Amino acid sequence: MSNPEVGIFMLALFLGAVMLGFPIAFTLAAMGLFFGYYAMGPAVFQLFVTSTNDTMANDVLTAVPLFLFMGYMIERANILDRLFYSVQMAARNLPGSLAVATLITCSLFATATGIVGAVVTLMGLLAFPAMLRAGYDVRLASGVVCAGGCLGIMIPPSVLLILYGATAGVSAVRLYAAAMIPGLILTGLYITYVVARVVANPALAPRPAELQQHIPFSTVAWSLLTSFVPLAFLIMAVLGAILFGWATPSEAAAVGAVGAMILSVVYRSFTFERLKEAVFLTARTSAMVCFLFVGSKLFSSVFAYLGGHEVVEKWFTQDLNLNTVGFMMVTQFIIFLLGWPLEWTEIIIIFVPIFLPLLKTFGVDPVLFGVLVALNMQTSFNTPPVAMACYYLKGVSPPWVKLTDIFAGALPYVFLVFICMALIYIFPDLALGLPRWLYDN
Amino acid sequence: MERILLTIDRLSAGVGKAFAWCILILTLGVTYEVVMRKLFRAPTDWAFDISYIMYGALFMMAGAYTLSRNGHVRGDMFYRLMPPRGQAALDLSLYLLFFFPSCITLLYFGIPYAQQSWSYKEVSIFSPAGVPIYPSKALIPLAAAFLIIQGIAEIIRCVITMRDNRWPQRLHDVEEMETAILNEQQDRARAGGDAPPEAAR
Repeated sequence: MSNPEVGIFMLALFLGAVMLGFPIAFTLAAMGLFFGYYAMGPAVFQLFVTSTNDTMANDVLTAVPLFLFMGYMIERANILDRLFYSVQMAARNLPGSLAVATLITCSLFATATGIVGAVVTLMGLLAFPAMLRAGYDVRLASGVVCAGGCLGIMIPPSVLLILYGATAGVSAVRLYAAAMIPGLILTGLYITYVVARVVANPALAPRPAELQQHIPFSTVAWSLLTSFVPLAFLIMAVLGAILFGWATPSEAAAVGAVGAMILSVVYRSFTFERLKEAVFLTARTSAMVCFLFVGSKLFSSVFAYLGGHEVVEKWFTQDLNLNTVGFMMVTQFIIFLLGWPLEWTEIIIIFVPIFLPLLKTFGVDPVLFGVLVALNMQTSFNTPPVAMACYYLKGVSPPWVKLTDIFAGALPYVFLVFICMALIYIFPDLALGLPRWLYDN
Repeated sequence: MERILLTIDRLSAGVGKAFAWCILILTLGVTYEVVMRKLFRAPTDWAFDISYIMYGALFMMAGAYTLSRNGHVRGDMFYRLMPPRGQAALDLSLYLLFFFPSCITLLYFGIPYAQQSWSYKEVSIFSPAGVPIYPSKALIPLAAAFLIIQGIAEIIRCVITMRDNRWPQRLHDVEEMETAILNEQQDRARAGGDAPPEAAR
């Protein structure tokens, strides 16, 4: 076997090994060591140590624990009930008001915390029963919770884009700017879809009785002012500081974490116990993400050293004979398929780097590719067999709600994501316009 | 055997939790830098170095703790369908095949790497403040050592599971909110009470 063939063998063996269910970070590192020893001898040991040190000193990844910490603090700030209640009041005159309020609450809360599981379970306990009580269609009600809860991994400031930026060597700031409008378009598509369904068939979402009486404007305004506005302000401040170049993502995340602590003090939910929980969870999740980086750094260096990329490139350009559109379709389809068994962290850190060297060959902007991948990852939570969002919702819903109904409810949103991706690909300025306008003048 | 297992679990959790507080230093240090730079136009010359040092220490030293909580992500599509005994046998062989070689490499080759840095008291090149970075290089072999110790505990855990066909209970610790909520729901369902879900909040 020639070296590039060994590289492909290494990749195939790794894919098989992942399915054995062992912690992926160590599988990666071991594969990197074994094949690295074959390719470059004892030098690989030194490489492993220095590449670990590189990951430890990576100043982009410092934003990861900071954003996680901010998210865990907000998650524990007791803000969600208030937020959902006020948004629900504000949206009460819209068709399918509870579903729309769920989507808006989810998108804001998910953006602030970035933790899909927490958003889906919390909203599954809060909004889902409210919708069922009002007589909403089960599928409609479960779809909005599952789809809305995932928006946080895409809408900036999200950890996903930081990780993509670190693997692709693209500025995280540009990625944030580029993901803004697509994120809003996707949220808009979700809301439009729900409203359209309810207008076409009002029986899907009867208006809840308690919201039919007149509520004075001042009550709604005050309620929004004390729940929606502070959280939205925190996100805007963090995001604004990053986009206008006042602070790096890490700095903005640190200030955001302090803001989250202040918020939880103001909402009288700040206790030492909760702070401790947030600190320990931050450490564990950071270790999980960053050890994947440690492993994948060695793995991808060895893969590149063996020349595995050349084989992949030859497949795409000669064997499959693809043009740029074809390349985009195939890669995004592969990433979509990977989302069935795997979660987004592994896909971004391990698999996306395999395609990155090809972007230049096909003349694809890595920022645009990143935005499309981020959109694509929305689906990974809602496609069986590992549809985590659906399982979380099933876990907190009443026993008579069937898992198949939840799957069916979440499915339309997968298609909405595809529509959004097609839109962004056809009109790339939707993504690339904002960063160009902000930074290239 | 269970005693050794729990002692190691406690050790890893203790180390991980101690270093977890780095996040607070990281948060406050970076915020201090932003405030000083933006409001007082007096940037610090240490905050940048502190930020990546704290981040590196945080995640490296939490590695063993995360392992003790089974927190390192797995591709568990098929794994989760297996009986505990099968899971344990598979885990056991892969700890020996994948885990120990990687961690021992990191320990064995990390020591001279750290020693070299210590020998000339390496400082950061990013700032004139001369923030020392040799202690953080020593964390590489140290983190690997704790991982190896925790790996031994995981091996014991696998052996117990292969004997009992049941995973031994882990130490109680804070869980992700979704896990905590789902466990609570399960307990409720098992208790037979058909309490409405919103009562959980």
